[in-house]
Amino acid sequence: MIDAATLLTILLMAGVTYLTRIGGYVVLRNRTLSARATAVMEAAPGCVLISVIAPAFVSRNPADLLALAITLVAATRLSMLPTVLIGVGAAGLLRHVIG
Amino acid sequence: MSISQAVEAAGDGSGSEFRRGVASCAPVLFGTIPYALVLGAQATQVGMSTVELSMMTGLNFAGGSEFAAIQLWTSPPNIVLIVAITFLVNSRHLLMGAALAPFLRDLPRRKVFPALFFMCDESWALGLADAKQRAAAGITLAFSPRYYMGAALAMYLTWVAFTTLGALLGPMLGHVETYGFDMAFPAVFLVLMRGMWTSMAAARPWLVSLVVAAMVYLFVPGAWYVAAGAVSGLVAAWLMAGHA
Repeated sequence: MIDAATLLTILLMAGVTYLTRIGGYVVLRNRTLSARATAVMEAAPGCVLISVIAPAFVSRNPADLLALAITLVAATRLSMLPTVLIGVGAAGLLRHVIG
Repeated sequence: MSISQAVEAAGDGSGSEFRRGVASCAPVLFGTIPYALVLGAQATQVGMSTVELSMMTGLNFAGGSEFAAIQLWTSPPNIVLIVAITFLVNSRHLLMGAALAPFLRDLPRRKVFPALFFMCDESWALGLADAKQRAAAGITLAFSPRYYMGAALAMYLTWVAFTTLGALLGPMLGHVETYGFDMAFPAVFLVLMRGMWTSMAAARPWLVSLVVAAMVYLFVPGAWYVAAGAVSGLVAAWLMAGHA
């Protein structure tokens, strides 16, 4: 049930993915960063997170945009679980009502 | 509290740190399960066997690149294309590992290298946000390895188990989008970002990332938007730090 070309593809995928996981740590581990580099590193987590979810902000579905706005407001006030429940609930409901 | 009680409490603390990690990851798992099922189901539709799919999600363990690989999958697979796209989609890990590196300085490499295998968007974000909060609270060893591994292993086992289940259930599953589960990801990420919020000025690179990633997503085919958005935000942070 395992094809040789498929196996090779999967192993190479796993290899490059692991290199990306250790790369940042290996290269930057023992460096003392400048103030400027520190500012970049502090901005980095938010930059990656917002980029991953950016497609949600330009959805063509008005129900999705409204649900995202509700989720955004919830995220500024509530903790993780209520925000997730409100977001999922709003998206499911609005897609049936509007979309 | 006597000294022995304090030591005992600290000993119990390690197990509870693992549980705290699993618990904090629970809302994320809620959003991951439908995606895992869909990935598994899609994989069988492009001709992968369940064993092959489980091997991919177990060894690669990076959902975005796996969705991309399945979309590009042919028989036989175009190895160079799929590996290159995998690297591009996962290149954000380089930034993530670099952001985590200062918190990993006091840990031995034999622990760090296995732990980094389990670094995904969710476990990284939870581990880093937790380390920042503990550092702000004055805790010297801010990064909690057991907390991180609790979140990471919960994520890993859920991902591999439910992608496999998706492959077994195959085409019986419909589109999860109709139920709204996909909104769990923006919800989780937005709450994590609120935890990282320091000031409006410090958040400006995030806005740059958002705008660039959204534009690239709309106008450039493929999964370039994550890398483009992340790098633009970092360039903005670099430039803004120079003006400060």
